Amino acid sequence: MPLLELRNISSAYGSVEALRGVSLHVDKGEIVTLLGANGAGKSTTLRTISGLIRPTSGEIWFEGQRIDTLAPEQIVRMGISHVPEGRRIFPGLTVRENIMLGSTSRGHLSKQAMVEGVEEMFGIFPDIRRFADALGWTLSGGQQQMLAVARGLMAKPKLLLLDEPSLGLAPVIVQQLFATIREIHTRGTTILLVEQNAHMALSVAARGYVLETGNMTVEGTTSQLMDNDEVRAAYLGGHTA
Amino acid sequence: MSAAAATPVALARARSNIPGLILLAILAIAFPLVPYVLHVSDYVLNICMNSVSYTMAVLGMVVVLGYAGQINLAQAAFFGIGAYAVGLGTVVWGLHFWVSFMLGLGAAAIAGLVLGLTTLRLGGHYLAMITISFQQIFDLVLTNWIDVTKGPDGIPGIEPPALLGFHLTDKRAYLLFCAAVLYLLIWFVWWLPKTRLGRAMRAVRDNELAAETIGVHTLRTKVIAFTISAVLGGIGGSFYAAGFSYISPDNFSFLRSIEFLTAVLLGGAQSPFGAALGTVLIVLLPEWLRFLKSLYLAVYGLGVILIMVFLAEGIWGLLRNTFQRIRKPVAPVIGAVPVLHFEIKAQSDRAVLKLENLQKHFGGLRAVDGIDVEVAAGTVHALIGPNGSGKTTSLNVVNGIYRPTAGRIFLDGIDVTQMKPHERAGLGMGRTFQNIRLFQTMTALENVMVGGQRDNNPMEGGREALVTRALSALDFVGILHRAHMIVRSLPYGHQRLVEIARALAAHPKLLLLDEPGAGLNQTEKQELVGLLKRLRGHGLTLFLIDHDMGVVEKVSDRITVLNFGKKIAEGTPQEVLRHPDVIAAYLGEGPANAAARA
Amino acid sequence: MEALANNLQVLFQGLALGSIYALVALGFVLIIRATNVVNFAQGDFAMLGGYAMILFTVGMPGNPELHIPGFAMHVPYGVAILLAAVVMAIIGLAFNYGVYYPLRNRSFLPVLISTLGASIFLQNTVLALFNPQPRPLDKLFNIEGVTIGGVFLDSQYLVILVFTILAVAFQYFFFEHTLIGKKLQATSQDKDMARLLGIPVTLMIIITFVYSAVLGGLAGMLVAPILFVSIGMGSTIALKAFAATIIGGFGDVAGAIVGGIIIGVIESFAAYYISVPYKDAYAFLALFLVLLFRPQGIFGEKVSEKA
Repeated sequence: MPLLELRNISSAYGSVEALRGVSLHVDKGEIVTLLGANGAGKSTTLRTISGLIRPTSGEIWFEGQRIDTLAPEQIVRMGISHVPEGRRIFPGLTVRENIMLGSTSRGHLSKQAMVEGVEEMFGIFPDIRRFADALGWTLSGGQQQMLAVARGLMAKPKLLLLDEPSLGLAPVIVQQLFATIREIHTRGTTILLVEQNAHMALSVAARGYVLETGNMTVEGTTSQLMDNDEVRAAYLGGHTA
Repeated sequence: MSAAAATPVALARARSNIPGLILLAILAIAFPLVPYVLHVSDYVLNICMNSVSYTMAVLGMVVVLGYAGQINLAQAAFFGIGAYAVGLGTVVWGLHFWVSFMLGLGAAAIAGLVLGLTTLRLGGHYLAMITISFQQIFDLVLTNWIDVTKGPDGIPGIEPPALLGFHLTDKRAYLLFCAAVLYLLIWFVWWLPKTRLGRAMRAVRDNELAAETIGVHTLRTKVIAFTISAVLGGIGGSFYAAGFSYISPDNFSFLRSIEFLTAVLLGGAQSPFGAALGTVLIVLLPEWLRFLKSLYLAVYGLGVILIMVFLAEGIWGLLRNTFQRIRKPVAPVIGAVPVLHFEIKAQSDRAVLKLENLQKHFGGLRAVDGIDVEVAAGTVHALIGPNGSGKTTSLNVVNGIYRPTAGRIFLDGIDVTQMKPHERAGLGMGRTFQNIRLFQTMTALENVMVGGQRDNNPMEGGREALVTRALSALDFVGILHRAHMIVRSLPYGHQRLVEIARALAAHPKLLLLDEPGAGLNQTEKQELVGLLKRLRGHGLTLFLIDHDMGVVEKVSDRITVLNFGKKIAEGTPQEVLRHPDVIAAYLGEGPANAAARA
Repeated sequence: MEALANNLQVLFQGLALGSIYALVALGFVLIIRATNVVNFAQGDFAMLGGYAMILFTVGMPGNPELHIPGFAMHVPYGVAILLAAVVMAIIGLAFNYGVYYPLRNRSFLPVLISTLGASIFLQNTVLALFNPQPRPLDKLFNIEGVTIGGVFLDSQYLVILVFTILAVAFQYFFFEHTLIGKKLQATSQDKDMARLLGIPVTLMIIITFVYSAVLGGLAGMLVAPILFVSIGMGSTIALKAFAATIIGGFGDVAGAIVGGIIIGVIESFAAYYISVPYKDAYAFLALFLVLLFRPQGIFGEKVSEKA
């Protein structure tokens, strides 16, 4: 049974993005990527899974339970952690406080458990350790992205939803980030990754789906997707760098 | 599009709505004439007089709130200034009506100016509080400064004015006169959004930062809107005083300001007709709801909440939306459009943009730590670097959104370091934003027109020329056919193009582009590269930030690389992309290597 | 010597009144931080607190026109305070569900206007149940006060000062040193993100409204013995509280408290030395001046927005 399954999901968000009958699944232990141009519905998909948007039709199943009618607070408690697009770290709280709040869905933590948890995150993201007591808004984009992922991981999720983690980041930072994503995956977290940077996404994922204006158009393994001409033309562009 | 000689652009007339206009005209003419034909009681005449004078004040709310998006909770005070000017002027000081009237307008205008100038630099909350405070002080003064204002006793015996020697003592005649003035004001408020000022107001309402950056004097625009509102309030008050012959402080209280606000919200803040509709309702409601006795005001308060929850655009907005859903408006036909003209002077030795030891610190964080850059005329200069290297901050400082901690910025030799963003736009600095900042409720054409409204835009002619220029800009970026669509409904890629067109309409000397490729897919990015090359071909100087090396490599003449707020390399793409420091700090491995390691 | 004693007297009164403004301003700022709502009915919470006390210690005159009967009630003072606080909590809840919740996704203007409507509604409902006559309320302690060095310290003023100090200390501890305080801050900085972490945002906001309403109500209960309870008392206090938040630095918790005290003191001295009828105008004048010369107030806004 897949860990996460979307069956024929349709949802609307404002007037720009919409999903039309999207079906996909993620098995335990995988990294699956969701590709597509801006406006294709990738973010909408994640927001529908995490409960920020209620789908207009279709079902979402997680670990054998239906979750499409639940509130975000309940969904995160079930083990889905959504790191949304645009970092969204709390600007007026410190790095440490941001990470601590990531543990909210785990319920009450003892002081020791909290300290250990934060330490673990600094271990995975050493670059932000020196900012531990700095306010979130003073960090750069890349540092904020790492903080956002750390905060999402602090929930010890069964499924991590990453929304365009590379957006606005320089190539070398992106590679560090994706190396970290690979490491998180190796430690046992299942990941559904939404990305515009198709190169990087397909370098970590085993499987992928392609969305075009709300419809699922292509799905397959990484090598299948890399060979697909349509996909390549629209997203890989045939250029290097 | 064709390179045909510039023919006058065929602008479509406003959607033909003849039946509606005729109906409106009939009603408008009939209204003040009815009392001459039928016998109406004084009571009804008073209600009409109330409605007419209040509507003038509510029109002020349409301008300041509906168009410019600023709250004004002191409209009753401005109304009162006009009323007391006439009352004191004619009864106490023995002045002629029209002299008192002008005094009142002057006083209202000055009060509006002073309030506006002090508060409009700040956010909406401040304005709300200050206007309420002003209203309260006005009330205090009216009630307590008995020597001058006659205090709670008020001023009786105010007489209606004479018009060309003809005394308007007949209530019906006075009503007719006031109605005529009202119609004039309605026309003015209806016409305002189509003017430069009106568009500037709407731009400020929709996205103040973008408006400021592309050359709108946002503070001046807001202050003008607020002052117009105050003056309209004063006009209403003056006519009110002469119409009811007795005024006292309780007519000009905070509650009255709330009534004006409720009227404009109930009727529809975006339209003078909504204002009229809302005012009539507000005047009639106390009569209809008389049966509620002492609960009336409590129900009123509840009603305000309900209007906000359920009727955001007011009744007029509701009617208009329903009407448009039934009869879909047809997009006007656009004829041939002249090719976009670029006003680029001959290449000079002087750098178009020069940054001298630019620094920007946020507390302890040195986001920009002393950079020197010169951008030669007619070139594309890219600023790249890892995240946190200071690129976006640099751009924001160049643009004027941030004040630099130290250092100077020269635009074509002029020191712009202390200038506000709109002043820099007025010298030819254009900009697009990473997160697209368009004026969402306006059409693509209107958005681009606002861009062309910057100071010193080298362009002759009035509105026609502005429209033509805007259409040419839209044509240049390839979306002329979308000119009349509201930008909110355009796909992302097209919104990006509208933003670029908006910058082009201003004849920029320098165009700052903040991640122009953000959010575009590969095909769109290729088209963008083509567009940027065409711009360079016309002699425009571009200064851009982007992370997509493919785009940067193809389009740039020169690249400056930042890391940790400092410049670490500079040169042609070939030089820079091979520089060991740059490779180490920034480029890293290509994805092929990364994939191999997976 | 007498001049000094007089000035100290005026100062003392200013501090006490300023504390009331500070308490109302505090509730005001908390709501702004959590929900971005500028609550123009904040002062009316103080008014309602005062009337709740009247209701429990004296009774209600009723309204014959509307067929609402009057009745008397004589609950002991301390119990009345508790009951009144409960009433305020319920009002905070009602405010959350009736005014904030339906408009939570709209821009600040519709919400601001709704709070104005709420203010009108609250004032006129109370007016319908009681009549417009201002009413006295007994002091908390039946002592006149103490005289120290020629300065008379009224017992109620002392109660106000002590309570305010306790309230501020509680506030600081709660927000800066508890996880729930952090969750409240997170809610006010990015509501959707807080939800994604599992923070019960709706509950956080309810807590904020209830806390603010009770705080405002207590302020009203404390100042009622001095100012008399009247329908319009809330509006005047509210405007001073707004001025306080701006002078202190909009959105800043410490600023609201400091600003309130400053306004109280300015008002007290200005009324004593200049004139009394225009007493209310001084706060506004101070406000104008601050906006002209230092609009960010004393503590200013810390978090900046990037383009």
